[in-house]
Amino acid sequence: MKIKVMAFASFREILGKELNLDIVGEATAAGVLAILASRNKRFKEAAFEESGWLRDYVQIMINRKRIDPRQDLSTKLNDGDELVIFPPVAGG
Amino acid sequence: MLNQAERERYARQIRLFGEDGQEKLKKSSVFVAGAGGLGSVVSIYMAAAGFGRIRIVDCDSVELSNLNRQVLHGSDDVGRRKARSAEEMLQGINPEIDVDAIVGTIDEDSLDRLLQGCDLIMDAMDNFPTRYLLNRAALQRKIPLFHGAICGFQGQATTIIPGKSACLRCIFPRAPPAATFPALGSTCGVIGSVQVTEAVKYVLGSGELLTDRLMLWDGLNSCMDEVACVRDSSCRDCCNKYNVETNNMWNNVETE
Ligand SMILES: [Zn+2]
Repeated sequence: MKIKVMAFASFREILGKELNLDIVGEATAAGVLAILASRNKRFKEAAFEESGWLRDYVQIMINRKRIDPRQDLSTKLNDGDELVIFPPVAGG
Repeated sequence: MLNQAERERYARQIRLFGEDGQEKLKKSSVFVAGAGGLGSVVSIYMAAAGFGRIRIVDCDSVELSNLNRQVLHGSDDVGRRKARSAEEMLQGINPEIDVDAIVGTIDEDSLDRLLQGCDLIMDAMDNFPTRYLLNRAALQRKIPLFHGAICGFQGQATTIIPGKSACLRCIFPRAPPAATFPALGSTCGVIGSVQVTEAVKYVLGSGELLTDRLMLWDGLNSCMDEVACVRDSSCRDCCNKYNVETNNMWNNVETE
C-alpha cells in the first residue's frame, strides 16, 4: 500500500518535503517510522532517543489528525493515508 | 471616540473596518510576552495598528547578536534594557497609545500581576516552559493566547480561545528541549504578522480564527501548511475536571 509521509520543520531538512512509501502488507505508524529511521541515520538520531523510543515531543499526525505517540503508534494505516511528522519549533 | 489625528492616522484601517472597529482596537489592552524577534514584530504592528494599551515585558538587555531580527532595538541600544528601547520605539511609532514597558521576568509568581487589565496575550517567548505558563494563565483568565514560534526558516502559529479551542498543551503536550536556535528576522516577520492579524480579527470579531489549526511556515520552500488540532479530553491544562481534582492552583476555577 502507498503511504505519503510529509515532514515539517527540521525533519523536512532531513527527509525532504514529501516521501511516498510503498509498503507490502500491513502498515502502522511505528512501522513507517522504523522504515524512515533505517533509511536515514540523521532522521533516526533526530527523532529517536538512544534507547530507541521516539522523542516525546515529536508530533505525529495521520491524515492531519494528531495522534498520541505513546498510545497510537500501532494504529493500522490504510492505503493512501498521509503521515505528518515534525518537531515543534520553540524560538522567538 | 477617535480624535482627528487618530482618524487620519488610521484612515486606511477605517476603510477596512470602520471607526467602530478602530475604536475596538483602541479599547484593547494587550500583553506582549517578550521583546525579542517575535515580540519586535508583534509589538510594532500592534502599536502602529492602534491597540490602545500595550504592556511589553522582557528581562534582558540588548546584545549585538540580537539585532539581525529584533527590530525594536538599534545599534545604539546595545547594553540597554530591551524594555526601554521597546518603549521608545513603540511610543515613537504611535504616541496615541499607552505603552507600558516592564523590565521583568515572566514566571509563576509575576505573571498574574503582569497580566492584570490585559485582554489578549501575545506569545513572543523563546521557550516552552514559559509558554505553558502563558497558556495556563490564558485559560484561567479566559482570555485568548496567540501562539507563535520560530526556528531558522521555519515557524508555527496558532490561536487559542479558552473553552472553545485546543489549548497549547493539547497541541504540544511535551516541550522540545531548550536550545540556542538559529533565527532569521524575516521568519519572525511572517509569524509575528500572523499573530497580529489574528489579534485584530479577534478584537473585531471578523474572519475565521486560526483556532484548532496549527499553521506551519516553511520559508526555505516557501510553503504555508496547516494541520488540524483537536482539544485533548485528557489535557492537564484545559480539562477542568482533571485540574480541579488534581491541581491546587486551579481551585479557584469555576466548574461549568
Ligand atoms: Zn488543553
